[in-house]
Amino acid sequence: MDTELGDRPGAARTLSRGVQESPILRQGFGVTLLLAVVGAGGRVVIPVVLQQAIDHGFVRGTVKMGVIVLLAVISALTIVVAALCQRAAVRRLGLRSEGALCDLRVRVIEHIHRLSVADHNEERSGAMVARVTSDVETLADFFAWGGLAWLLDGALMLIVAAVMLSYDWLLAIIALAVATPLALVLRYVQRRLVAMYDLARGRNAAFFGSVTELVTGHETLRAYGAGPVLSLRTKQLAKQRADSFVRAGTIGAFLFPSGEVFSSLTVAAVVGVGVARGPGAGLTAGALIGFVFLTYRFLEPIAEFTEVLDQTQSAVAGMRRLFSVLDIPIGPPEPARPVSLPAGPLSIDICDVTFGYRVRGEIDPDEPVLVGVAAAIPAGQQVALVGSTGSGKTTLGRLVARFADPVAGQIRLGGVPLTQVANADLRDRLVVVPQEPFLFDDTIAANLVFAVPGRSLADLERAVAALDLDDWLDTLPDGLLTKVGERGNQLSAGERQLVSLLRASVADPDVLILDEATSSVDAMTEVRMARALERLAQGRTTIAIAHRLSTAMRADRVLVLENGRLIEDGPHGTLVDAGGHYASLFAAWVSSSSVGGTALPVVDDDDERSR
Amino acid sequence: MNTPTVPSPRPRVERWRTAARLVRDLVRVHPKPFAVATAGAALFAVCTVASSVVLRWVIDHVIDPRFNDGHVAVSTVLTGVGLVVGIGLVRAVGVVVRRTFAGVAHWRIAETVSGQVVDHLVAQPLLWHQQRPTGDLAARAGVDVDASVDILSPLPASTGVVVLVVVSAAWLLYIDLPLGLFAVCIFPVLIGLNLSYQHRVDRFYTAAQDHLGRLSAAVHESFEGVQVVKSFGAEARETERLSSIAWDLRDARVSAVLLRGTFESVLDAVPALANVGIIVLGALRIKSGDLTVGELASMIYMFTLLVFPLRMIGYALSTLPHALAGWGRVREILDDPVGADPAVARGVTSDMDGLSFRDVSYRFESDRPVLTNVSLHIPRGATVALVGTTGSGKTTILRLAAGLIGPDSGSVAVRPGTCALVLQEAFLLADTLRQNICFGQTYDDAEAWEALDSAEGRDFVEELPNGLDTEVGERGVSLSGGQRQRIALARALVRRPDLLLLDDTTSALDPATEARVVANLRTALSDATVLMVASRPSTIALADHVIFLSDGAVAASGSHDELLEASPLYRALMEAFELDRGALANPGSLPKAGAD
Repeated sequence: MDTELGDRPGAARTLSRGVQESPILRQGFGVTLLLAVVGAGGRVVIPVVLQQAIDHGFVRGTVKMGVIVLLAVISALTIVVAALCQRAAVRRLGLRSEGALCDLRVRVIEHIHRLSVADHNEERSGAMVARVTSDVETLADFFAWGGLAWLLDGALMLIVAAVMLSYDWLLAIIALAVATPLALVLRYVQRRLVAMYDLARGRNAAFFGSVTELVTGHETLRAYGAGPVLSLRTKQLAKQRADSFVRAGTIGAFLFPSGEVFSSLTVAAVVGVGVARGPGAGLTAGALIGFVFLTYRFLEPIAEFTEVLDQTQSAVAGMRRLFSVLDIPIGPPEPARPVSLPAGPLSIDICDVTFGYRVRGEIDPDEPVLVGVAAAIPAGQQVALVGSTGSGKTTLGRLVARFADPVAGQIRLGGVPLTQVANADLRDRLVVVPQEPFLFDDTIAANLVFAVPGRSLADLERAVAALDLDDWLDTLPDGLLTKVGERGNQLSAGERQLVSLLRASVADPDVLILDEATSSVDAMTEVRMARALERLAQGRTTIAIAHRLSTAMRADRVLVLENGRLIEDGPHGTLVDAGGHYASLFAAWVSSSSVGGTALPVVDDDDERSR
Repeated sequence: MNTPTVPSPRPRVERWRTAARLVRDLVRVHPKPFAVATAGAALFAVCTVASSVVLRWVIDHVIDPRFNDGHVAVSTVLTGVGLVVGIGLVRAVGVVVRRTFAGVAHWRIAETVSGQVVDHLVAQPLLWHQQRPTGDLAARAGVDVDASVDILSPLPASTGVVVLVVVSAAWLLYIDLPLGLFAVCIFPVLIGLNLSYQHRVDRFYTAAQDHLGRLSAAVHESFEGVQVVKSFGAEARETERLSSIAWDLRDARVSAVLLRGTFESVLDAVPALANVGIIVLGALRIKSGDLTVGELASMIYMFTLLVFPLRMIGYALSTLPHALAGWGRVREILDDPVGADPAVARGVTSDMDGLSFRDVSYRFESDRPVLTNVSLHIPRGATVALVGTTGSGKTTILRLAAGLIGPDSGSVAVRPGTCALVLQEAFLLADTLRQNICFGQTYDDAEAWEALDSAEGRDFVEELPNGLDTEVGERGVSLSGGQRQRIALARALVRRPDLLLLDDTTSALDPATEARVVANLRTALSDATVLMVASRPSTIALADHVIFLSDGAVAASGSHDELLEASPLYRALMEAFELDRGALANPGSLPKAGAD
């Protein structure tokens, strides 16, 4: 989870922005509040009616049935009306808050989808998911319980306090005076409880993590006889988890009854003082008894309020995180007046392109990713980008696909600057095949149709045939309707790449950006893939970010990048003959893949460490 | 797991019996704290009734005399005040005891039961694990145990509620029979309303939970595949797809809150209306001289106190379906007998051999043959490469040799001593590099570094901030595939194994590093027998001997050069790399894939 940098907006500002951004929440809020107050009135009917009955119905041993029946009718009506109002208040708040949350969720999803690819990296993807799920859920919890409690209990306490004051000001002050230390005690206990639960949740996650390791690593653990050691560790974590939950539970156990204790103290004080003051001070027996009942009603919500306060805090924190995502500027902006791309094959002009990734909003001048890269690629040319990890070849591919815009320089597609091409137009004509072929948990056909919705099964079959992959399709249990599983895990790495190529072919683009996979597949699959690729690339302007030099050999032209600069540019043969960087890369590769060969030291270091 | 389900004529009764068995089985694990918690709940219930008795006493003996007769003895007032505070304190003690010990019972029982599940998971052989999805198994020791134990938390409180209902009903009837009868008749109405609400709202909450799970999975997928989404300009389509799930979630939540609005109001109004009824009836009884004002107030007070605890019953029952389902899944693990360890069944090789297979056959899930009559004799100290296309049975041979699985027929023999297996996918614990290399045993730093030297891993580990103490995984650094492989390799080498099994371990390394690693193995483990799955010609060439597998049988064996001569199929596989390159000079000569 990423922590917010810079100054954090205060709770009040976050809340007011929340209300501002969700007009549904404001709709008729006054009415909801009024309904809640009337609804809460229903909960003080019984103490009041009891007081009235004792003071006016049972006078000196006689019972005035008329008064009692009248009181009963009035209170029954009040209870029914209050219940209807409370029902309306709960439903209104529920409908509006759920609607607002759903809107907010959809807005955040939409915003995240529109962020630049540079803002989506592996470490952040989990945090982004958390924004849409758990952060919105804290808000949902707040509205379902905390928000409702603010509304209903707040109204109740107000009404109870008013009734108490109307009975006897001194007793009311006593009740209020007791409520203050109670609230403070509860707040203190609540804080410790939250800290304890944080610890417990951390330990819970550690325990769950250990169990998962025990199962996923079973084969290795068993091969090394390390199962019992890890099982011991897991059990220790289970014990620690139990310890902290028990401690949290014990703290919590004191939280709820403290309300009870304070209630008894208040009742005792009210009875003592009330009796001491007696009827001379204008107090009646009924009012005193009513007071006893009201005391419980008054102190009841306080325990709930202390919990609600924490819920409110986490809701504000969740809201703040949501807004921080909405505040990230969206990816490359759409042109105000788009120019449409010319029909037919497209050339790519890379003009003195410089790029650096943003660190806290600033381009890091010390670590430019690309510096002054220039190349004119005529329509239909097959280009391979070669270079070691960190040379900038993947970034250059992304810039051509306009997943980000260069810091300086320009890229033109068919003569039109990318910044003037409408996104929909660009995506119709240019397709990226990413390094990790990402598949959705569905059938192969569904993954292919993702490129162009509405294609029929026959269209897809033609695409398979066009890439000469029928023989592969025949090996699948359900052909195109084979389920690929989560992230395509039912297919082999090579098969996932084939689906990814097919998907690009269904889109039938004029420009193809191909980020080659690094994972090893067996030689036969590799050959099959190379053939499919060759067919796919035919007649399209292609930029292949090559990790295998066989791809570079096949290209019309090789661009060699090193430290963000273009150092060699030319056909494979010319570069090999020139005896430069590319030539040494190639020699090493030939040697390792030859039938009788030995491995030569390779300049390219495959290792890549990300944090 | 395999017990046939006998169709019960009375499924409801059967369900309750299962629930009772579940409670009995769980409570038996740690009965004491559970009993204390229940006692605390009973104390609370009795004190709740007592507080209403005290209220009656205070009204009749303190308030009424003071306001109607003008005076009351100070000692009586003090007694009344003392009683109110005293009962309040004891009642609070009851709650503290109940909650504390219910927590102790809940978490200690969860700890013990999850420990039992963990023991079973560790003890079961590889085959058992392969037949079950890993995520599902992990859930058994975690969420499923937690769900089962959840049935316990509300139990002491519910027991307390039952005591409360019985004692207060008796008390209400004792004070005044007709009025008591009226009040007691409302109990079942309230309980019924609570149950009906819980039952109906659970459906929406469950649906909401399902939608949330769906949304979470879909959002995860969509954000993870964002490059693909953007590449095809599908942002709007994806937002549409996800928001339709978000709307399903909203709809379920709205249904729940609408229902909640209705029931909360009804559950507030019904006891209030019943209290109005009690006041009217009470007035009649006071008129006839059968009831005092104190008694009436005490009854109303009693009734008010009952409303909240009655809700507990609905809550307790709402945990039942999840608990039963969770417990069923936990029992499946605990009741399944632990399978035999295939490692024990391996034989001992003759002096000359480091590893031997005799007529070994193995089928996957008893229908698909993986290996058919494979016989191998690998001399002690030899380095042998295992070569074949995907699905030819290479990994199965390594698993058989490591004793992770047993052959269906034939026999596997190894030399007594240490055997180490390094898998294609390196498995690292979220722990320090040192722990990942030692892996449950003790080696000193010198041994760990020596192993890292042979695995060509010293350089990158030295560059890490904390060297061997660097944490890997979620909270630490993430290593590249090649680095992970080298740690896994060091784990095997530090044990100085007599038999080393490598499953395409070094393919994530660049060819030169791979060659150095294989050379290091020869010097560091000169006596060890090494069987390695390999795919690069340059690596295969380093082995003393090559075993070429095809369709689960040994197609050929010999030195790399011999096989190139003797086996056209082997030659085709080796030349695939080269042909791919050669095709450029000679367009049209690409081999037809699928020759396997």
